[in-house]
Amino acid sequence: MDARLRRVNKEIADCKNDKASGIKIELIDESPFHLKGIFPGPEGTPYAGGTFLVDIIIPESYPFQPVKMKFITKVYHPNVSSASGAICLDILKDAWSPVLTLKSTLISLQSLLCSPEPNDPQDAEVAKHFTTSKGSFEDTATYWTQIYAGGPGKKGVSTASSGDGKDEVAMAGLEKAHVDQFEALGFQRGKVIDVLRRLNYRGKNVTQISEDRVVEELLK
Amino acid sequence: MSDYSLSDDDYYNDEDMFDITQDDDDMNMDDYTEDFKVDTNSKRKSYEIEYESLNQPAVEKLMQQDVAYIIGILGVDSSIAARLLRHSSWNKERLIEKYMDNPNTILVAAGVTAPEPPSVTSPIRTHIGDRRTTRSASKIISTLSSSSKTSSKASSSSYQPAQTRLKAERFVCPICYDDSSDLQTASLDCDHLFCTGCWTTYITSKIRDEAEHCIRCMAEGCCLVAPDTFIQSALAGEGEPTWARFQELLVRHFVSCNPNLKYCPHPGCTNTVSCPAAASKSSLTTVVPAVSCGARGIPGSPEALTSAVAAKEHYFCFGCPIDSDHRPVVCSVAKMWLKKCADDSETANWIKSNTKECPKCQSTIEKNGGCNHMTCKKCKHEFCWVCMGPWSEHGTSWYSCNRYEEKSGTDARDAQSKSRASLERYLHYYNRWANHEQSAKLSLDLYAKTEKKMEDMQITSSLTWIEVQFMKKAVEEADKCRMTLKWTYAMAYYLARGNEKELFEDNQRDLEQAVEELAELLEQPIEADAIPTLRQKVTDKTVYVHKRNEIVLEDTANGFLEGRWKWNARVEGFDEPDQADLV
Repeated sequence: MDARLRRVNKEIADCKNDKASGIKIELIDESPFHLKGIFPGPEGTPYAGGTFLVDIIIPESYPFQPVKMKFITKVYHPNVSSASGAICLDILKDAWSPVLTLKSTLISLQSLLCSPEPNDPQDAEVAKHFTTSKGSFEDTATYWTQIYAGGPGKKGVSTASSGDGKDEVAMAGLEKAHVDQFEALGFQRGKVIDVLRRLNYRGKNVTQISEDRVVEELLK
Repeated sequence: MSDYSLSDDDYYNDEDMFDITQDDDDMNMDDYTEDFKVDTNSKRKSYEIEYESLNQPAVEKLMQQDVAYIIGILGVDSSIAARLLRHSSWNKERLIEKYMDNPNTILVAAGVTAPEPPSVTSPIRTHIGDRRTTRSASKIISTLSSSSKTSSKASSSSYQPAQTRLKAERFVCPICYDDSSDLQTASLDCDHLFCTGCWTTYITSKIRDEAEHCIRCMAEGCCLVAPDTFIQSALAGEGEPTWARFQELLVRHFVSCNPNLKYCPHPGCTNTVSCPAAASKSSLTTVVPAVSCGARGIPGSPEALTSAVAAKEHYFCFGCPIDSDHRPVVCSVAKMWLKKCADDSETANWIKSNTKECPKCQSTIEKNGGCNHMTCKKCKHEFCWVCMGPWSEHGTSWYSCNRYEEKSGTDARDAQSKSRASLERYLHYYNRWANHEQSAKLSLDLYAKTEKKMEDMQITSSLTWIEVQFMKKAVEEADKCRMTLKWTYAMAYYLARGNEKELFEDNQRDLEQAVEELAELLEQPIEADAIPTLRQKVTDKTVYVHKRNEIVLEDTANGFLEGRWKWNARVEGFDEPDQADLV
């Protein structure tokens, strides 16, 4: 049997037998080389309680070349693209070793959620949010976990959300008062959220960015 | 700059310098620049540069010399010396300094010795930042005794596929999960055991897919680098081509670390050119380091074997990434020109170059055929399509149209917008540049056609193969001149207006005219009784063309040495142009 297939089959079987780690690997279609990884968000982090899905593609030269992984579940994290789910992690690139397995790589992803690395970001806007105001970042990450990964959510954020739908302000990690303030000047709410997020209008930045600067951006 | 100018002192030294270089058949590298300074008496022309072509074994010999030097000084074995040198980018001084400072640090960094006994690493990975620091900073053994111990152990490290390890438990390869009893295993000094099949696939993948010459242990986080002997054993048998590729990668790495060397950019070629005279960036404002590795065609292709004529010699520029000879123009100007050509959209060019306004009545005209002698349908004004000047000024010498005559053309173009004028100026040079490039591309066909003609000639006349070589020579010469001409247009585009430019364009025109005449002769059908006359004509023309080409190249090269050329735009490495010259 083809060595790659034997190895992938064994990895899937190993993962099935190991209930303790909470990590699951499932087939997406008929091919054993296109898989879906599932792991729980790590406890004690904004991702706790969520279930995260990862798209896994096993390349031709696996395990001598790294697997291709990206998040299916939307994640608010400096090293994960908030738009595409692309992941910035050394072992998925040059630090890959053939002894690493799908399971160990998924565990690494789990630990990446525990320890973000904002100095080497995949998503620059999220990384900026993380460095300026960690508390606010965590609220947003918790909210994303709640919306996309089925997490329980936090009290503080759930009160900010306006009932049933997704709260766009909380999604962008902004303060409702700030958005209301600029919306009152006659700008569209969506545009205000967009500009404030881009300018990283959070924490101590709020005092540093003048209102004129925001209005200037809004008028562009 | 001043180093290369011909001062009086240099002049008086000419004889001496010449003698030195004559005696010194070994071609001492350090003399290159000196030699280059006084070019008037030596055989080498001012537009040529001294260089040497090295094949792969020759470069490998240079590498071995460096390795032997390090073995002599540091007292390590050759496999360690090689890995240390590769790690330090072949900088011997820095390597020795670092080794003297702390041998362990560099041995660990180069992947020769393991930082600490292999530990069972947890599969949980932290991010890049954390890992890198632990790798380089904390895991260092600082006792000297352990270093000598590990290095002696390293020398014993070899790929031993035959050796099966007997263990209480049956060995399972952690990569392919194979557990058969006859599984052959191997490991580096770190004792991370894997089956030989996985080693071979891994090493092949690293070399083939990643073009990586530094191959680390497969274990996670283990930084030991496999010695060459280990790699060779792993690739023995079917992996021979990969082993050859590995050696090529090592040579490429060595060449890229040495500013005096450059790898031939032609596909499949493994030669290297050594050209210390062009190694520094500052020298590139005065010389065009056009070099050739000496090889022709694509190695191994049938073309190279059957027709030596069709296979082009591997000319390239030592100083920049342009993979052809761009004499006479210097690298920075050639690069500017290529960038400009790439930036300007082809579509816009086409529209602009196919429609123009009549210089008299401003009607828009599309030229859909015919010659450059245009007569406006509306106002009957006669003008030249290329320069837009009145046709009466062209007379019989329509070749003067190689020059974008700013004076007589001004009146005609005044009416048109300024942007259009500058675009036309650009197109003037571009079209001629592209035309020569196209002709050069077609030269392969011409080669083939010429070979056929040469064969015919032998049949129809009493001339021998040797005697019909004049055709081949003529084609080669014409091709060479077209390359020169092509780049003279790039140069002329950026030359500031003035006498120097006019002289340059005079030389350019003479060469162009001569080349066109030669090309016409070559295209002529061959009649048996006219062969001797044709032969005479072609030979004469070839010599003349060759001389004209020499004049252009020589004069331009001297101009660079004397700092004679002034530009109409900012050029890297040159003085700021005068405000009045800027276009």
